[in-house]
Amino acid sequence: MKKNTFYLFTGCIAITLLAIFWYSVEIHNSLVSVVAFIAGIAAIYSARLKVTDLIEDERSAKITEKAALRTLQVFWVVFCAFSIGAVTERLYVPAFPRPYPPVHPPAILPPRMMGYIQLGLLCLIIFLYVGFRIYYARKYGEWEHDDE
Amino acid sequence: MPGNTGNGNMMMNKIKVYRAMHDLTQENLASAIGVTRQTILAIEKGKYVPSLDLAFKIARHFRVNIEEVFMYDEGRPTQNTLGSK
Repeated sequence: MKKNTFYLFTGCIAITLLAIFWYSVEIHNSLVSVVAFIAGIAAIYSARLKVTDLIEDERSAKITEKAALRTLQVFWVVFCAFSIGAVTERLYVPAFPRPYPPVHPPAILPPRMMGYIQLGLLCLIIFLYVGFRIYYARKYGEWEHDDE
Repeated sequence: MPGNTGNGNMMMNKIKVYRAMHDLTQENLASAIGVTRQTILAIEKGKYVPSLDLAFKIARHFRVNIEEVFMYDEGRPTQNTLGSK
């Protein structure tokens, strides 16, 4: 499979997934979108293995590795910080008796918003990865020019 | 061009010289050893320190010892390259 065919295929999968996601929201069935998402990603991964004109050498592998590691390092901290904060609002622990009634401030985030924000953070990981990839590619000579 | 090995030492190379001696373009050398032209360019410019495996491949391609193409220069401060942290 040619590289451009693969990109076209990936685009088609993305559009199909969007349509399936839309449909699953319409029929209120989350299982459809979950199964479709996993199947779509599996299809993209298997198609990538069949790409013939994509040269990957140790430098590009290293750039990918570094970008992925940095993305993970940033992402897990942000995601965990948000999740801990969101969960803390909903946890109840046995409280020691106090002379005054317990104060429960109003929740900042409604439960549904937590899901949306987590989904948004997961989407942001793509942009984060692309950003780090561009940074490392630039740093390690991806767009260097020579006189030749 | 020198490249940082990650501990403050420099890895110099003479790939450009050997390419000229063998009348090879970066593209020719790259395809002969199975890497991209950008990788050869990055090594020549000292932006990337190749792995031992790739360094041997390059040296073998020119039919010389690895020390003749790559020189280890201790104690020279440098820019960052992929060999570094």
